[in-house]
Amino acid sequence: MRLYEFESKQLLRKHGIKVPIGILSTSAVSEMPFDDVVVKAQVLSGGRGKAGAIKAFSNSAEAVNFTNSLLGSLVLKEKVKSVLLERKTKTKEEFYISFLYDTDSQLPVLLLSTRGGVDVVELAKGNLVKKPIDQLLGLKEWQARDAAVDAGFPSELIPKISEFALRLYSVFLEEDCRLLEINPLSLTEEGELVAVGALIELDNDAGYKHKDRVYPPRMIGVGRELTDRELSVKQVDEADYRGSVKFIELGGDIGFLAAGGGGSMAAMDALILAGGNPANYAEFSGDPPKEKVYALTKAILGQPCLKGLWIVGAIANFTRVDQTMQGVVEALREVKPKYPIVVRRSGPYEREGLQLLRDVGKELGLDLEVHGSEVSMTSTAKTIMERLK
Amino acid sequence: MSILVNKDTRVLIQGITGRTGQVALRTMLEYGTKVVAGVTPGKGGQTTEGVPVYNSVHEALKNHPEINCTAVYVPPAAAKEAVIEAVSNGIKLVNLITEGVAIQDTVQMIRYANIYGARIIGPSSIGIVSPKQCKIGVLGGIKDDTDKIYTPGPIGVISKSGGMTNETAWVVRSAGLGQSTVIGIGGDVILGTDFVDLLRMFEKDPETKGVVIFGEPGGTYEDKIAEAIKKKEFTKPIAAFIAGVFAEKLPHGTQFGHAGALIENGRGSPTEKIKALREAGVLIAETHDKLGELIKGAI
Repeated sequence: MRLYEFESKQLLRKHGIKVPIGILSTSAVSEMPFDDVVVKAQVLSGGRGKAGAIKAFSNSAEAVNFTNSLLGSLVLKEKVKSVLLERKTKTKEEFYISFLYDTDSQLPVLLLSTRGGVDVVELAKGNLVKKPIDQLLGLKEWQARDAAVDAGFPSELIPKISEFALRLYSVFLEEDCRLLEINPLSLTEEGELVAVGALIELDNDAGYKHKDRVYPPRMIGVGRELTDRELSVKQVDEADYRGSVKFIELGGDIGFLAAGGGGSMAAMDALILAGGNPANYAEFSGDPPKEKVYALTKAILGQPCLKGLWIVGAIANFTRVDQTMQGVVEALREVKPKYPIVVRRSGPYEREGLQLLRDVGKELGLDLEVHGSEVSMTSTAKTIMERLK
Repeated sequence: MSILVNKDTRVLIQGITGRTGQVALRTMLEYGTKVVAGVTPGKGGQTTEGVPVYNSVHEALKNHPEINCTAVYVPPAAAKEAVIEAVSNGIKLVNLITEGVAIQDTVQMIRYANIYGARIIGPSSIGIVSPKQCKIGVLGGIKDDTDKIYTPGPIGVISKSGGMTNETAWVVRSAGLGQSTVIGIGGDVILGTDFVDLLRMFEKDPETKGVVIFGEPGGTYEDKIAEAIKKKEFTKPIAAFIAGVFAEKLPHGTQFGHAGALIENGRGSPTEKIKALREAGVLIAETHDKLGELIKGAI
């Protein structure tokens, strides 16, 4: 889970890492807390500076106007719900430092540069040092020192930088981060290191070690509030720990219901390649109870302008086809769609599950075509497209 | 022939009395897998489905020195210690089925496995099948269904997606081919064993004539395949499907101006992966169902 900048800085402050003094504003302001202020829109997407959502002011009236214009606006397709007002740091130099997991070395790595405040992809073209860290040894003081030397820091700064790297690495581990990036790391005129920019991604899988954490749920870059249907599916999903269901509206005309994460991606790709315009993305996995599948199917069928419905899944290992399809059947019975429906699903209790669908099709006179593993999963994208002609 | 597991594989199940461990135990025994022991601390001396339960890996090995593989079904918080316990007792092959392992734990267990010369398949692996020889995990479900999908043959199958492993083996079978070994490697950020590790093994397996791959967005594991082919570490045909191209075109694709994007050096997206693989000579299936015909035409 990605944290907002103000949340990242709260976490850093807790560990004694110095961050600028700031105030979070969630509603319109009439004055500024500081004379020299940096106004920063709080959104989760990267590239806020380039998007013009971070600005420094020495004129209070301009800062007030800018803050109020940001609140509620869209920045990088994301609605701004809060703005961070920070006292401007008196910076002498700016650096870059981060820790993250590297899939090449399968280890955490330290990234370090004497240039800060620039996009890291730009930095990579120049002098960016990457040091894999053996997690059995931990980050050693001499390794941090080596990184600082390799990055080209002057001698007098090397102890300061390596000490900061060690402290930051302990935060990275203790808080179970996937990414901890300080950009820029400012060296102030007083000679202090201050985390002026901060980005943290937490490891959701380590949540059990941090039960005290309470961050509100978030969707990166959806760019809009959840629709009522999305919200209802989310609520049903969260109310029961068994299995999971996901639903995102996309605005097309073909209802889409898929089983499994990888399977749903493969199916979406096939549908778009076949010329389809999906109304939504939807996926259930982990043998969910029929109530969850029912709620998901109802949300899909509730979308306006549907011209067809594609229900698709791989050969399941242990998700029961009959139980999950029972949820689909109940929703079909209520909505009685007139448009063509193509189903492909296989796995345990396939015969029973597919028969349930055929029976409800006959009973309600639905335009329904049902397949098991005798046809391949993604080939039925073409089947639904042909039925729409 | 096959890789990783075969008729001589003798399996330990860690977490054998748990809910998922029990399902796996029954499924594996039904398939004919030689599950010789299980571990659940505090339940030593019991038996389940005729298989003896021990308090520790050490105790299980003392009574069953033939154990050469462990299937780990413990909860996520216990996974790291369970794997380290197995490898430090000398077990060389760990199939970690547990999902939701903290990334820090994964990194540490891999380091221990390297020290002890052991291999971890997983975390979040759906299992491993060498048809008619050995099945770890619940792939294929009951035996009849497993036999319908899995039959001995010349194709190796590697999948990040657990749910699509059966389907990928099935498109191979539907093309009239069988499989040498089918492996679910899991879709976590850090993998114990990646595509290239397994390709090197398939390269040495004379029965394997080609490999089929199911890849997903994120990480650099698919891209490393291209590098391995260029270095001639793998010389047999590969057919690959990389899922998730659609997600790049969605209006809510997120721009990452941070280190995650850098470390992947522009390699994380499905489009980039497909480009790199195609340039290296990998046959790319535009839709998943084409994988079978593609590999059939190449071997």
